[in-house]
Amino acid sequence: MRNILAIFISLFIYQGNASALVIGSDLNEITIGANFSGQDLLVFGAFYSDPSLPRDAKGDVIIEVKGPPQTVQVRKKKPFFGFWLNNAEVTFKEVPGFYYLISTTEINDEILNKNNITLLSDQDTQEIEWGKIRMPKDRHDFMNAMKRNKNNLDLFAINNDSTQIDILDGNLFKTNIPIPNTVPVGNYTVSVYLLINSELKKGYNYDFKVKRIGIESVIHNLAINFPLIYGLLAVFLAGFMGWISAEMFRRLRKT
Amino acid sequence: MNIYLPIAELSVNIFIILSLGGAVGFLSGMLGLGGGFLMTPLLMFIGIPPNVAVATSANQIVAASVSGALSHWRQGLVDVKMGMYLLLGGLFGSFTGIWIFKLLSNAGQIETFLAIVYFILLFSIGTLMLIESSQVIRDRIRKRTVKRKLHYHNWAHRLPFKVRFYSSNLYISVIPPIIIGYFIGILSATMGIGGSFILIPSMIYFLGMPTSKVIGTSLFQIIFITAFVTLLHATSTFAVDAVLAFSLILSSVIGAQLGVIFTNKFRGEELRALLAIIVLAVAFKIGTDLLIQPTDIFSISVIKELY
Repeated sequence: MRNILAIFISLFIYQGNASALVIGSDLNEITIGANFSGQDLLVFGAFYSDPSLPRDAKGDVIIEVKGPPQTVQVRKKKPFFGFWLNNAEVTFKEVPGFYYLISTTEINDEILNKNNITLLSDQDTQEIEWGKIRMPKDRHDFMNAMKRNKNNLDLFAINNDSTQIDILDGNLFKTNIPIPNTVPVGNYTVSVYLLINSELKKGYNYDFKVKRIGIESVIHNLAINFPLIYGLLAVFLAGFMGWISAEMFRRLRKT
Repeated sequence: MNIYLPIAELSVNIFIILSLGGAVGFLSGMLGLGGGFLMTPLLMFIGIPPNVAVATSANQIVAASVSGALSHWRQGLVDVKMGMYLLLGGLFGSFTGIWIFKLLSNAGQIETFLAIVYFILLFSIGTLMLIESSQVIRDRIRKRTVKRKLHYHNWAHRLPFKVRFYSSNLYISVIPPIIIGYFIGILSATMGIGGSFILIPSMIYFLGMPTSKVIGTSLFQIIFITAFVTLLHATSTFAVDAVLAFSLILSSVIGAQLGVIFTNKFRGEELRALLAIIVLAVAFKIGTDLLIQPTDIFSISVIKELY
């Protein structure tokens, strides 16, 4: 709902040159209706500091969006008599259903890892069911394959293009986060961090929801909670449409 | 324009879905085949998950077969008793089929399984149709008429539990129809097809049914088998997408009627040769996908939490 302008404000004072963040977004929920084909989420904010300070002194921002956790299975194909069949399998748990990371400058991995700004936390990494996969290199391949496949579905992106965060007047920033049509429903978290002199200051989090509405929600609930009724309805609707069409065209042909 | 599919959980271009349903409906109206064997693989080509493609295709066939069976019913061309025995086997077959489907899904092999069976199926149907239609075309050019046997006496007539089928003028064992039904039920539940292209020749060659009753009886039993398969999928794989099914039904019934009109303007064997080529093209695509190394040998699947 675009008309609900949700603004979240966070203030914290950085000693010395008094830098802080004010952030906001235009949405607090994304609704999946019959014509949902993805949506952009606008995240904006301002460096809350003396406007006369040079841009460099205000620091950089990192924006991270995380979707609801999912269990993801990654399978590797192997040829059997010329046929490519699924073979080895690895199960990742607590994988965010959507992950997006962007920053105003390139941030080195050390800072990101230290502050747990990653797809999988250390704890989640320990819960991976590796199965037969033991070699670190092979495990690395599976991890990359998972990220690559999610990236192809627009569900995982580390956007290194800093220019996609617009900075206006040296004080205001905004960026659009593309939410694709394949997003899972559930709770999402947007985290915005302020980075000054390679040191990460605690940022601000806010949540938004992705949910089904209208006919999409009715059909999904029926299919999951009352599958027998849903199945019967689907069968009767199909039978009815078949009958109506046969009758209609029979009459058309007669005249 | 995009439409969001609530069960497949993705949005697709509505025009792609409508033209796919229309085209498959057109072919089935033109040739009197169900078209499920093209619908399921084509749905998977456009990115619909295999379980949704199979379950929803079964749902769509309910509509197509009701529509087709009605005209045969009015002309008294349905052998209800034979249909019931086929159905009996079919119900057990669909249970087995669903069990196989879930087993393969959990093992992560359902896509490969579908690719292999669809390749075999489409390749055989396509080749047979191409041979048959080209022979008819050749015979027509040479002005030759082929005599065909009217009735086949075979092992189906020697088995126990013989029953009289007055409508089809048969006195045969109930075992073959039940076994054929069982086999069709497995195919229906695992592949999302009606199975008429296997059922019809089986009824003619194994059961010796008169050709006039074969299509009506097959459509009659397919209504109930696909309805049952839809119910089984809805309650066990939760993969019947009502929005997708509705769009496919709407476009396929219109396509089927256009196909019927079109069929009167062309010779049957030439249309069958055309369909054979389409079927072989789909088989070729599925076959090469299996044999050529995929661009990404890794694939992912999300375990759906149902809430």
